[in-house]
Amino acid sequence: MALIELRDINKTYNNGQPLHVLKGINLDIERGEFVSIMGASGSGKSTLLNILGILDNYDTGTYHLAGKLIKDLSESQAADYRNRMIGFIFQSFNLIGFKTAVENVELPLFYQGVPRKKRHEMAMEYLEKLGLTQWAKHFPNEMSGGQRQRVAIARALITKPEIILADEPTGALDSKTSVEVMQLLKQLNKEEGITIIVVTHESGVANETNKIIHIKDGIIGQIEENESHSAWDGTMMK
Amino acid sequence: MRIDRDTFREILDSLLRNRSRSLLTGFGVFWGVFMLMLLSGGGNGFRELLEKNFEGFAHNTCIVFPSETTKPYKGFQKGRYWSLNLTDVDRLKNLVPELETVTPLVSMWGRSVSNGDRLFTASVKGVRPDYSNIETPKLVYGRYINWMDIQEDKKVCVIGKKVYKTLFPEGGDPCGKKVVMDGVYYQVVGVDYNEGNMNVNGRADEALTIPMSTMSRTYNFGNQIQLLCFTAKEGIQMADLIPRIRVILARNHYVHPDDEQAMYMINTQVLFGIIDNLFKGINFLVWLIGLGTLLAGAIGVSNIMMVSVKERTTEIGIRRAIGATPNQILWQIIAESIVLTLVAGMMGIVASVLVLAGLELGMTEDGILKATFQVSFGIALLAALLLSVLGSLAGLAPSLRAMAIKPVDAMRDE
Repeated sequence: MALIELRDINKTYNNGQPLHVLKGINLDIERGEFVSIMGASGSGKSTLLNILGILDNYDTGTYHLAGKLIKDLSESQAADYRNRMIGFIFQSFNLIGFKTAVENVELPLFYQGVPRKKRHEMAMEYLEKLGLTQWAKHFPNEMSGGQRQRVAIARALITKPEIILADEPTGALDSKTSVEVMQLLKQLNKEEGITIIVVTHESGVANETNKIIHIKDGIIGQIEENESHSAWDGTMMK
Repeated sequence: MRIDRDTFREILDSLLRNRSRSLLTGFGVFWGVFMLMLLSGGGNGFRELLEKNFEGFAHNTCIVFPSETTKPYKGFQKGRYWSLNLTDVDRLKNLVPELETVTPLVSMWGRSVSNGDRLFTASVKGVRPDYSNIETPKLVYGRYINWMDIQEDKKVCVIGKKVYKTLFPEGGDPCGKKVVMDGVYYQVVGVDYNEGNMNVNGRADEALTIPMSTMSRTYNFGNQIQLLCFTAKEGIQMADLIPRIRVILARNHYVHPDDEQAMYMINTQVLFGIIDNLFKGINFLVWLIGLGTLLAGAIGVSNIMMVSVKERTTEIGIRRAIGATPNQILWQIIAESIVLTLVAGMMGIVASVLVLAGLELGMTEDGILKATFQVSFGIALLAALLLSVLGSLAGLAPSLRAMAIKPVDAMRDE
């Protein structure tokens, strides 16, 4: 069984006029894959990401994550699954401004009930892995965008999740740091075997991943194998 | 959810890292508690100070002053002078059984009293022993005038505090020593330290009290008296008796019973009733203002927490996205509210206690406190309890709103 198994997922928003966003999504993602989901705005890729991240419900179909059926969960159950199985990386980093880097990284463990000392040790370990040891005591606004995103990646990794969901992870970064962040994700995927799903609308970013899933008007169009990273003549973000 | 050191640290972190917001929020509560405590303590002290003035004076006394008549009656024209006499005392005693004490008073002002070369200008009161039911003496030495003194026209006296301090500056028990007034020697039998500001015919601390019979004989008053004081028995309203007493006294002296100016009566029960009501009113106002301010403070906390939740939508969304359950968020906001309210409130209590302590320090004379302004421990405890209840109530609405924040909102806000 695949790590992620989506079968005929449908989602309609009912804000005034019903909006059918996802029209039957079927998708399998295996453990250890490095996938990107690409699509224009309004294509439904954010909705798909929200469903994958158990941030939103779907109407019909089934979604299995690591063998567990994710459907009609209570809020606290969803919170628990998110906490243990999913690591989020956001476009705008979404670090808590009044907490230092290390405290931000610790936070998921706080909600798991890990003791303070243990949390701190683990958080420092992950910060070291990402080369941020000397920034541990700094607040997010004292760091560059790339550093902040690396703190966010450390926070996503600390619970040892099944998947990392990255929503436009380079959207707020300049091209140089974008490359660095993508390299980092690539490395994490290769060396640690972590499953990573990146949602983006930038072809350059998508090109760095091993598989590109195109989504258009709520249905999956083309799935490109991209082991050679040559989907777009190899030039990423000049 | 678990309440442990960790959770507490998390709450403190949120409050301390948003210092100015917490400070402004807490100030409303601080001020509310401060005002409530200060007003209640101050009001209490003020009442004690005022009550000091009436100390030693019976609360259900009525005093009759005879004065020039203003109405013609039974052939007498108006403008006639008349006076009370000792028969009135017996009449009232016999005819009005509801009266507890009926006692006459004769007095004079500005008499020179001396002990050797020391001189004091005192007022002199001639009394019967039961006059102590009207103005209760605070005897530090000796005794009060007794019936034996009256029967035998003894030349004895009880002296007030100021008289004692002036005539016997060396201190000690003056009983047995003699003072001279108008060439007559009086033996001191008691010292009265009553310092109340409510007195009949002269302050008690400046008075020389002697037996009434002695005074009448020495100064030729005959059986005339100047004032008539009486108290009603327990549970009887003086105002109900006054019309009857007026008629009895008026008939005896051919004074028109409706001539209120000729027979002026002061009813202290009415006076004390007014004062009592005044303080009940003040007390009510104090609590109204205090609780109102406190409530306004709590609503302020609720309001600012509401804004704060709105402002922290992203933060809360992030927390939810990385695994906080709605309950954890709910409790965090409520706990923040309680901690904020309690800490600010405790500071308010401490500040008001300090101010009241300072006030007491300023009110202390010779190491003796004039009035207690300090709030009691029980009231402070009650206030603290009230604060935690208010804090949790204030946190309720904002935390419910925070709980409703979906993790997606965090991303949508960007």
